[in-house]
This record gives sequence, C-alpha cells and structure tokens, in this order.
Amino acid sequence: MKLNVNGIEREIDSPLLTPLLFVLREELGITSPKAGCQQGGCGACTVLIEGEPRRSCLVPVAAVNGAGVTTLEGIGTAEHLAPIQQAFVHHYGMQCGFCTPGILLAAHAYIEGGGGDDKRAISEALAGHVCRCTGYVKILAAVSAAARGDSFDLTMTTGTPTTTFVAGVTE
Amino acid sequence: MTGGVLDVVIPTTPEEAVAAFGEGDGITVLAGGTIVMPQITYGRLKPDRVLMLGRSGLDKITREGGTVTIGAAVPVSALEELDEPLATASRHVGADREIRAQATVGGNLCSGPGAETPRGDLQAPLIVLGARVRSTGKGGERTDSVEDFLAGGAAGRLVLDVAYDEVDRKTAYHAVWRPHTHHYSILAVAATKTGDELRIAATGAGPYGVRLTSVEQSGSPEDALKDVDPQDDALASAWYRSTVLPKLVARALDELA
Amino acid sequence: MKAVGARLPRYDGTAHVTGRTVFVDDVRVPGTLWAKALRSPVHHADITGLDTSKAEAMKGVHAVITHADVPLLEYGHLSALGIPADEPLLAKEGVRYKGQPIALVAAEDEETAMEAVAAIEVEFAEKPALFDIRLALDPDAPTVHHWGNIYPHFEGPMDRRQIRKGDIDWAFDHADLIVEGVYRPAAIEHCPLETQVCQVVPEADGRLTIYTCSQALYFSMGVVASHLQVPLNKLKLVGGTVGGGFGGKVDTASETMTALLAMKAARPVKWRWTREEEFLCSTTRAAWHMEIADAVTSDGWILGRKMLTLHDSGAYARFSPYGVTKHSFHHTGAYTIPNLSFDGYVVFTNRTPSTAMRGFGVTSVSFAVETHMNRIAELLDMDPFEIRLKNANRIGDTSPNGVVYTDPSTVQTIHVMAEEVGHELPADYRTMTRGPRDGELLPEHLLAQVGDPEAH
Repeated sequence: MKLNVNGIEREIDSPLLTPLLFVLREELGITSPKAGCQQGGCGACTVLIEGEPRRSCLVPVAAVNGAGVTTLEGIGTAEHLAPIQQAFVHHYGMQCGFCTPGILLAAHAYIEGGGGDDKRAISEALAGHVCRCTGYVKILAAVSAAARGDSFDLTMTTGTPTTTFVAGVTE
Repeated sequence: MTGGVLDVVIPTTPEEAVAAFGEGDGITVLAGGTIVMPQITYGRLKPDRVLMLGRSGLDKITREGGTVTIGAAVPVSALEELDEPLATASRHVGADREIRAQATVGGNLCSGPGAETPRGDLQAPLIVLGARVRSTGKGGERTDSVEDFLAGGAAGRLVLDVAYDEVDRKTAYHAVWRPHTHHYSILAVAATKTGDELRIAATGAGPYGVRLTSVEQSGSPEDALKDVDPQDDALASAWYRSTVLPKLVARALDELA
Repeated sequence: MKAVGARLPRYDGTAHVTGRTVFVDDVRVPGTLWAKALRSPVHHADITGLDTSKAEAMKGVHAVITHADVPLLEYGHLSALGIPADEPLLAKEGVRYKGQPIALVAAEDEETAMEAVAAIEVEFAEKPALFDIRLALDPDAPTVHHWGNIYPHFEGPMDRRQIRKGDIDWAFDHADLIVEGVYRPAAIEHCPLETQVCQVVPEADGRLTIYTCSQALYFSMGVVASHLQVPLNKLKLVGGTVGGGFGGKVDTASETMTALLAMKAARPVKWRWTREEEFLCSTTRAAWHMEIADAVTSDGWILGRKMLTLHDSGAYARFSPYGVTKHSFHHTGAYTIPNLSFDGYVVFTNRTPSTAMRGFGVTSVSFAVETHMNRIAELLDMDPFEIRLKNANRIGDTSPNGVVYTDPSTVQTIHVMAEEVGHELPADYRTMTRGPRDGELLPEHLLAQVGDPEAH
C-alpha cells in the first residue's frame, strides 16, 4: 500500500493493522509523532490525515491507504518556520517538547480551518491534548497569536540589565 | 506489531461487508478503531480475522420519508447536525474532536462495557428517539429497537445502520461531565416527549444504555434505580451513579414538563 | 551582562517546534531488540517457583534475565546518605508491590516479547497486604518489610526523624488555645508524557552506551555501575531531552535491567514502558499523614508545635528517609516557632514505592502548615495575613534544625500578596520588615531561639 507523507509518496510494507504511528516512526523513521499512551488518550501521536488531525496510534495503516499524511516535519523547517511554529517559539509554548508535535498540528489545522483568536474555541480544538509541563497558558497564548496573524521577532532581544552584580563592570 | 493477524478484509460495498461478516464467527469488526486498536496494541485482543468498514459505503446519512438513517460507519462528529438529544450527546463522546471524527455510530452501539470508562454515550439518545438498529449476523438481517439490541448483546451482529423518525418532540439531555475540555461523560440521561409519550433512558448507569421504563410508567425519578445496574469504574463509583441518577432524571422531567 | 533582562528564545525551541528534538525512543540503532517485563500481579507474596525456560526457548527471544543475572542484586541508591540497600533489582524471595519486576525478556519484536513474558512460569504464596500507613503498627498488621513496617536507620539508630527544640511542655502550659489539624495529601502520579524508556547499546570496545530518560545522569551512572559491579568508565550515559520527569525519573528504573539484557543478548535493547505501566507501576509522590497541634496565644503567637508525620514509602525505602528529613527541617514553614516536638516516620506498605516529585518532602508540609495557619487565624478571629506577618521568619530567627536565617523573604512576600489581592493591611503590619526582631515582635518566648546571622 501507499502513503503520501509530507508530500513524498512512500511504499508501505508494514502489516495492514499496524497503527499509523508505528508505520511513521519505525518503518519511515519519522519520529515527531510520539507514543505517549497508545490508547488515544493523550494526543502526542496526532498527525494530519488529509489536513485533519487524527490520533495516529488509533489508525490502522490500511485505513489510510493512499491518503496524504502530514507530520510536524512537514509544516516547516528551522530555516522556514511556519507561523504557528514561530508563535510557539516566541511565546514559550513548550517545555519538554513531547506534546508539541501533536499540539502544533492540531493548532495548525484549527487555524487553517478558519479558527480565530478565541480561547474557548482553541481549548476545544486542543481538548484531546495533554501537556504535563506548561499548564497550557502559554500554549493558548501562542495559538491565539498565530490565529491573529501576529508576526514574531525570534532573535535575542537585548535588554537593559536591571541588576549590577560586580561593581565596575559595564557592558 | 500486529503481524500475527492472518486476514484483513476491506469490503467496498455494504453487500460485501455483509457477506464477509457471515454469521460473525471468529471475525472482529473494526470501524473507527478507537476501541479495538488499543486492545490489539496492548495484546488484549489477538484477532484472526478483521473486517474493516472504513470503505464499505456504510458511512452515509440519508433522509427519506421523514426517517433519518445513519450508516454504521458514520463518524460521531457528523451527528452534531442531527436532532437533539443526539447532537449534544455526540459532542461529548470520547472527550475531544479528534476521537469523535474517527469513532463511529456503530462502534458506539457495540462498544460494550468498559472498565476504564463507560462508553456508548449515543445509546440513550438513540433509545429515546425511538431508533431502530438494522443488523446482520446469525439468522440474517434483523431490525431491533436500540434497547432490545443492546440487551440482546451486540456480539455476533454487524450493525448496518440505525434509523429514527423526524417528528415534533420535546427533548432533554442532562449529563455529568468532568469540568474541563478533556472530559468523558460519567452519567447521562436523555428524554423525549412526543405528544403524551415519554421516553427516558440513561447511559453510565450500567454496562450499556437502558430505557428507564419504571420512570416512564410512574413519573418518579427515584424509580430509575429499579432499571439500572451501576458499576464502579475509573471515573465514578456505583454509589455516586446511584445517588446522582435520580437527580438527572428529575431535571430531564422538569425540562419536558 | 547581555542576557540579564533580555528576551531569549529557548535554545531547544526550534527543535521542539519542528519535531526534531531527539527523545530516547527516537534513537534508532539497527538490530535493537524489544524488552518487556514480567511484573508481579499480586501485592504481597513469596515466590515459590520461577521457571523461564519456555520463554528462553521461544523463537525470537534473545535473552531472559532474573535476579540470578544481577551481579549486585541490592544497592542503596542513597547509601552515600546513610540509607542502606533494601530492594532487589529483580524480585528474588518475594514481591512486595503489584507491578514489581520479576524478570525481563529481550526479543526481536514487541509481540514476541509479550508472548515470552506470558510464557514465564511463576508461583506465588500470597500474603496479606498493608495499604494504610496508620495501621502499620497495629498488632495484627501484616509485616511488609524485613526491617519491620517502620524504617529504623535514621542516625542513632532511630526509627524516626526527630526534632526537639526549646521546651514544648512550657508552650502547651502557656497556651490560650491548642489548635489541632490532620492533613492527608494523597499520592500523585507524575504522569510525564514520555513514559520511562531506555536504550542500551553494547559497544565494540566492551563499554555500554545507555540512552536514558533519567533526570540525573551521573547519579544513574553510579547506580548502574554498582549493580553491574563495573567501573564507571565502562558506561557512557547519554541523556538529553527528558519528556517530563518532575522527579519521577530519578529512580534509575529501567537502565540497569536494560543493560543486563543488552549484555546477555550482545545486542542493543530498548525498553519503553507502556502508559499502563507508567500509571500502575512507576513510582509516585508519596501519600502523607500529618498531625499538627499548635499552642497559640489569643493575640496570635504560636508558642509551640507538636507534629507527627507518617510518610508512605510504599514497598521499599528508595529516597523516603531523605524526603522525611527535608520535610522535618521545614515543618514550621515560613514562620518562627521556638518550641518544637517533631516525629517523622517512614512507613512501609505494599503500595508502589514512592519517590521524589517537585518539592520532595516539602510540598506536603507546606500544604499542612499553610492550611493550619488559616485554621489558627479562623479560631482566633484574626486576619490570616496578619497572623502570618507576626510569626514570619526574620533575620536572626532559627529554623527547626537550628539554621540561622540570614535572608528570609516571608515578610516581603506576604506584603506583595496582600497588595496583589487588594487586601488592606493596618499600618503597623504594612510597615513590618524582615529585619531582626525587636520591641513588640520580640516577646520573651522568642528570645532563646534568636541566633547570630553573621556567624556561619
């Protein structure tokens, strides 16, 4: 069977009932979707199937024969970050990064689908995604910012030191 | 991971699905996969033969002659546009929209009791809509009321579709959900009043959705406890469900009054 | 000092948002075998039989390990802090918690590994189990640990962490009111999104490369080296990004066993816990039982505190004595109480062993202390901000274990809190500072506890 993954057509050898998550991670070496629970309960495995967010740990690969699959690697690179990726960097929308691939793809799909700067709607769109590190506040801020179309300066912004630690040393 | 499976059948028409299912012996039905896939992943289910319904053409919603027919493979998310109380209940299946887009109506009817979470949120709304389940299996095709289908056991049946009539009715739906977006229904009561006819049903108060016939006869919320068999599970205890159920029933009856 | 006050992007931000961050499970080494564990299905039992032969003979199985394969079966991770070893890496004589690992298998794929685990034959003679720390000293309580149900190796040796300061009897004799409270925070599961995972690669030069999710690389390195009885330079631990730990990935819970499998199989081995293992078998924050009785005056001085703490260590000691020790140092919290009688016990049960979690040992006592302060304020009909400011730690006050405070921030913190919530303080409370006590803030009963902040 075949899958189109991040724009590249791939031939799939895995058995038909293999969860898409493991086809991506083990057969194709695409490791951004994560095995957080393998029960559909955490959202760390979410990928886009024909642009729609789905739990790849619950999808038998035979069910997506011929479909277009997008993983986080497919929406932007370090050289060209997508707006949602920039928003997360700027707003510190992640800490350990394990939930980030699933959340970014769900957020990306939300915005591509016309979702706006509405915390309640964003929360519902991301309802399936568990984050144990951030407390969600900065994640919502990042998605709001991207939904608004904010632009981001990701360079280090120097500030005025507020404390002098050693007398006589100035920058 | 699932290399032990010998046979995966992917029918492309309802007739092929019916033929492949036969009498249902030794075959596991996989529609959305939200319940079956974790069981396979964790080694609790080792099917020899799997029938995948994703391309079987059982995913249509049709309206004809005042009847709405929902194919077994229709995703739960598609029910948001349909009649109450089905619409509201569907929005709370499985805690989030990614699950709802993959879970199916058929799977929800055949979900069986879960030790981790009560499943089958759509069962009570379908019961009170007077819905009929068309299924195939041993003895061929059959149509049952939803409550009879559930009581008889979904094992050995392949659900084809479920249908209800569009009539003027008042509806009510009261449920206990955890207070955040990633939530599961713990307990729910659905009710309709069509003319003088009251129908009321509950999910989360037993292994599957049940019609509260005692309440329909007496009008007394406490009588709900005669019709149910609440269980302890990861979300709530049997005591909690027994205590809260009559209150949800009372709210539903008040709303319909 | 360019960085101070600057807005810096996270150094790992780009990698996280492009999905390129490498977690242990993302490491790909050709020829890696899958590990699975046989875990105890019962809470408390003797092991009367263990036969791994069917698993070993199974096609696709490369290695099976039990206690017999471990060079040093019991090693105390905090033996440097005086906590002796009590826990076998793999169960030998018996099991003391449901989920305790008994054997591990390395196989070609996950399915084979699961089948091999199912083929291991183990027999148990079940024993009654203890789950409630309050019952641990009852005459009919089951004994769950070979040291007894109470950890006996605090310095002394003593069976408790004990603090005595001042004259507690004087305090209770001079109180206008005794305020009591019982506080019982439950165990908490860390639930990191990344489950416990480890990959071990036997290198050509005889060393082992261990990719680990451990939060404490050097600490885990020492633990692995000790169990394996190898010099440290035989091991190379590779950490990096931990997918959430919160204190739950300091137990070296997977590295040693995975290393043993890799050595025995002479192949790379990966062990990734399932979410169910993570919930049911991984360590948790401990459950605690705390009883506080404070001797207070009607004008809001806390003259003395009696406190009893029971800490649920679960089946083994792990880091619990260390946690209870820290807990004891903080049992007055942000406040100065001159007369103290504290007893803290590490209690063994048949629950999953408990471990560190953010604020190890101290979040429990903070919760109890702060709740108790509110209780005191309510009973004395005093403002909860004012009673805190009055008793707040100041420069020169001493902690329960005699440390002189040189830089306590209680007063400023409470002032800021009052301002943030719009709580008006009377002038004399608004002008309080953290400076050394004097005048009305230094009644006679606080004199004896004052120390010299300059003397270190």
